[in-house]
Amino acid sequence: MTMLRIRNLGVRFGGVVALHGVSLDLNRGEILGLIGPNGAGKTTLFNCISGVIAPNEGTIHFEGRSLRFAPPHERARRGIARTFQNLQLWGSMTVLENLELPIDAIARRNTLSDALGLPFSHYAERAASERARAILHALGLGRYRDRLAADLPAGIQRRVELGRALAMRPKLVLLDEPAAGLDAGETEQLAKLLHKVRERFRVSMLLVDHDMSLVMRVCDYIYVLDFGKVLSRGEPPVVRNDQKVIAAYLGEPTPELVEASPTVPEPVITTTIPDAPQLPRTDAVEVAGETGTLLEVTGMAAGYAHLEVIRDIDLTVQAGEVVACIGANGAGKTTTLRAISGVIRPRAGRVTFGGHDITGARPEHIARLGLAHIPEGRGLFPRLSVEDTLRLAVDAAGKPERLEAAYDVFPRLKQRCRQAVGTLSGGEQQMVAMARAILTQPRLLMIDEMSQGLAPTIVCQLFQMIDVFRQQGTAVLLVEQFVESALAVADRAYIFEHGSIVHEAPAEELRRDRGLISGSYLGSAPDSTEAIEVAANGNGHHRVLDPELMEILSMRVPAEVKRALEERAEREGRSAGALALELLEEVNHTQ
Amino acid sequence: MTQFAAYTIIGLSLGGIFALAALGIVLIYRVTGVLNFAHGAMGMFSTFVAWQVFYGTPHTGMAPWMVTAEAIGAGLLFAVVLGLVLELAVFRWVRNRPQITKAVITIGVLLALQSAASLIWKNNQYHLPIYLAPQTSTFKIADVPIGANYVVIVIVALGLAFGLAAFLRGTAFGRAMRAVSDDPTAASLWGVRVDMVGAVSWMLGSLIAAVAGILITPFINFDTTSLTLLIVDSLAAALIGGLVSLPMTVLGGFLLGLLETYPTMWIQSLGLPRLIALLVILAVLILRSPRGLPAVAK
Amino acid sequence: MMPGHIVRFAIAIVAFAILARLPVGLDPAFQFDAALAVIWGFGILSLVLLTGYAGQVSLCQATFAGVAAYGAGMTVAGMHGGYLLGIIIGVLAATVLGVIVGLPALRLHGITLAIVTLGIALVFDKYVFQDHIFDWFTGGTGGWQVTQASLFGIPVDSSKHLLTAYDVMLALFCMVAVLMVNLHQSGAGRRFRAIRDSELAASTMGVNLARYKLLAFALSASIAGMGGSFYPLIAGSVSPQPFWVFTSLQLAAIGVLMGVRYVPAAALGGLFMAVVPDVLTRYGHGTFMNRFNYDISYDWFQLAVGVLLVLQLILLPDGVWGDIRAKALRAWDVVRMKPREEVRPA
Repeated sequence: MTMLRIRNLGVRFGGVVALHGVSLDLNRGEILGLIGPNGAGKTTLFNCISGVIAPNEGTIHFEGRSLRFAPPHERARRGIARTFQNLQLWGSMTVLENLELPIDAIARRNTLSDALGLPFSHYAERAASERARAILHALGLGRYRDRLAADLPAGIQRRVELGRALAMRPKLVLLDEPAAGLDAGETEQLAKLLHKVRERFRVSMLLVDHDMSLVMRVCDYIYVLDFGKVLSRGEPPVVRNDQKVIAAYLGEPTPELVEASPTVPEPVITTTIPDAPQLPRTDAVEVAGETGTLLEVTGMAAGYAHLEVIRDIDLTVQAGEVVACIGANGAGKTTTLRAISGVIRPRAGRVTFGGHDITGARPEHIARLGLAHIPEGRGLFPRLSVEDTLRLAVDAAGKPERLEAAYDVFPRLKQRCRQAVGTLSGGEQQMVAMARAILTQPRLLMIDEMSQGLAPTIVCQLFQMIDVFRQQGTAVLLVEQFVESALAVADRAYIFEHGSIVHEAPAEELRRDRGLISGSYLGSAPDSTEAIEVAANGNGHHRVLDPELMEILSMRVPAEVKRALEERAEREGRSAGALALELLEEVNHTQ
Repeated sequence: MTQFAAYTIIGLSLGGIFALAALGIVLIYRVTGVLNFAHGAMGMFSTFVAWQVFYGTPHTGMAPWMVTAEAIGAGLLFAVVLGLVLELAVFRWVRNRPQITKAVITIGVLLALQSAASLIWKNNQYHLPIYLAPQTSTFKIADVPIGANYVVIVIVALGLAFGLAAFLRGTAFGRAMRAVSDDPTAASLWGVRVDMVGAVSWMLGSLIAAVAGILITPFINFDTTSLTLLIVDSLAAALIGGLVSLPMTVLGGFLLGLLETYPTMWIQSLGLPRLIALLVILAVLILRSPRGLPAVAK
Repeated sequence: MMPGHIVRFAIAIVAFAILARLPVGLDPAFQFDAALAVIWGFGILSLVLLTGYAGQVSLCQATFAGVAAYGAGMTVAGMHGGYLLGIIIGVLAATVLGVIVGLPALRLHGITLAIVTLGIALVFDKYVFQDHIFDWFTGGTGGWQVTQASLFGIPVDSSKHLLTAYDVMLALFCMVAVLMVNLHQSGAGRRFRAIRDSELAASTMGVNLARYKLLAFALSASIAGMGGSFYPLIAGSVSPQPFWVFTSLQLAAIGVLMGVRYVPAAALGGLFMAVVPDVLTRYGHGTFMNRFNYDISYDWFQLAVGVLLVLQLILLPDGVWGDIRAKALRAWDVVRMKPREEVRPA
């Protein structure tokens, strides 16, 4: 039985198509995975389902009823709960209060009675509090009960968000990146937790995550989104072996993709690597001649507000070297770059750049020393035209104004020079960001997630630019989700895990020894057969439980019966659902 | 018909003042993220400084135009210093606070400036304006007599608007300001001196507020509160431009000026213009507000 | 009643007993200040609910009070109704205005809402309270004169029975304050706070945003109106000046200054707003050390409020009461020798 039915959903923001013709079915009791590169429209789809944004076209039905005119709180009452990628806990409330709120928001409590403290409110209050405590206990969050939500580490906050969603007695939970920032072990725990949650709370789930290992392990069925369209769908093994998915996800353009997709853009960068004669060479000789350690970071720690994100970071970049930083989402790579370039202040340690101590210096000061940082999201100015942006680069760096150098490398920018940067495509924007490095010839260029949200062909060409920078004498520090491409171009790599550097090795070595990266980056390696088995087992019992049985089970069962059932299931090490099924069958037989 | 034309001219000049004040608000808001409720109060204070120099100090043996120039110069200089001091002493330290906190701080500045001014100049109404053109000089277009002071306002407003646009478009510093307004963090990564850009935009904004304040003196019996409360009309004009677009802001200012003036042909009322301003704000905001939840739409 | 309720009720009674004694025996001008302090206390209390709990910005709280004051004045002086009826009409009028002001808040937020509410304050200040079209409501240029009034048969008018009126207002204030603390700790209060912390999460977790935002505005306006509706009683007449736009700005400034998230800050702010300017104007002139003449007027008060607000927002973001409270809690932890819990990063 289809619980959630989405047909032909389309969302546009201004001229940008976020979703186009997306259709999706979710069955009762299912854990459905939704994967795709950054910017593929996953969160937009979530926002449509939970009613935060209204789609331009298409329909969403939940349990057979249209959600078209239901505001978000109405959808919550019908049983759709969600978590948020950028955590949205109520920070000034305690964890317990965070869980109590959805319980009594659904119950329609009376404000006057609450203010007067009438018995009715008193009982409701106790009931909400008890249920909230029970859920906290079930999720192992009991000890954080009276903490303010804002004071908790992000990982705990994610679990509280899950608890808050469950507190609503939902039928469907939308999980937005629950594994962000978790390591392989924690991800495995999360996978088990999600299965436990499905069983204990009888919910269906729609799961968005980057972590393929989690999605493959947990989900019964997977949809792959790319550029707002459904690229592929199927059970985990099918999706895993789908060439289109591999191409979109891992950034390896395959011949099939190029043939299959009519919208592959023509090559946009004319420069080929071996001969880049049109590159400006004014200061290049001098810069290229520079040797020795350019950037040296020792014992650096940094973070935001209550949270220390990175610690004991030791990192060096030699002049003219290309260094990659790899590791899972939330491992601290971006924070490291931000602390180096001065966006946030390091809390401990020392950063020297070209002989200057730049620990805690202002970003504009550091930038003027010749350290260019292209942050995640490219750090451009949407309302400035291309030409003005490039002029800004040369003004700020005090270089002569010869924009032609950049236009020679990126002829497309020449065509668009009067256009506002915000109206360019992602790839073109990244070209603008990189053109800055061509014009100002920094000594070190730090690029954060260069390939984020870009088509594989463009990514491939951007990576070729890294080699161009190397020839120009600019050292490059890369943070990249496409490990393969990053290692292909880098000389050396640092592997980040949990806010620290756990390994440093020449890129060559890492290319040969996949095991080293896969542990920290891809969770467990996708090629391990064990993962497939777990996924298959995970699927196991939902096929046994047919929808009708699920209906019966979600009826109100006396608490004692339920508890007895759960206890027995635990003793026998089986799922409560399977046990219930068995008992029901027995009853049928005796009748 | 003649009456209509006369009101049009009054409306346009009033609109010019709104447009000017709104320009300053939008400039400061875009570059520093501070919605400046104290903009009217800043203009008021500078205007009173100019007024003090004009009427309160002896000018023996000076030509009238020199006295005017001296007064205006003093007012504008004071405005620049005031903007700089506010940026250095207050707004530099709260750059990373939530937008609403910064707005509340400007309310504190508003209260302080207004009461400081009424301590110095008392709560009397002042009738002695500063004229840029001789008060009596008029000329006629198609039988409609036009006071030169009205024309001066429109010219100054348009001139400053175009000048500001040219400065932002054509100069390196203007580019830096636009970059900071789009994304201050990214701008600092590009090597733009964000502190300096912030200070300059406060000085410029304060300067423009002072110009608006001085220009309005011939039209109202000004006191410390009426000039301070000009902020509401200016914010209405700024909102027509979405707090972003300079041309739309100027257009909005003129539009609002006309809207507030025409009804006074028939109804004489102190508050009616404000009611119109409020309705314009509301209409524009409701039309502009995006679908869905604001937290997402941002 | 839960134990918490009993404690709060007891605290309120003690606070009432102490505060009710304060102006006894002082000269009538100070008794008037005390009564005025309760009115502004209501004004700031309304801001605690609206801004402190629900996170909605308003720069027109004095307008709500003013509408209630005129409503009460109109009922008593214009229609010769009893004062109790006057209070009811006044509060109702303020509540209706609150709902109307709340409507744009469904679409707007943050600074844009601040601009709109400032516009509303200005329109009422310059237009509704002053234009002849609204003479039926405002009683014309002179405003309404309230000389004889009684509540439940007890005479409470300004000239002779100021302290009786003060006691009635104070009792009401303490009651509303207790209800607000109850609200803060209960389900409905959590919903308001959820809207303040994250509207997005609140609405997707089942909170009806429209309903609770409107409720916040209506409740807030009625609390401000409660204070305002007593104004004709203690002042003997109504005029636009006490409710003009700068009062609204001062209420917002003093509310934030004292700690807009805390109910006791309302009492603190009310006292500050009513008593300090009067003390300044009465004792603020003379000669210091026989040499320096000084003359402190009301404007010094507003100047101080502005400067203090700026300093506070830079230095103590949680307000004066918030700061006192945090220090007290920390001291309490030290007394109990409870180790401070450190948050361990993940």
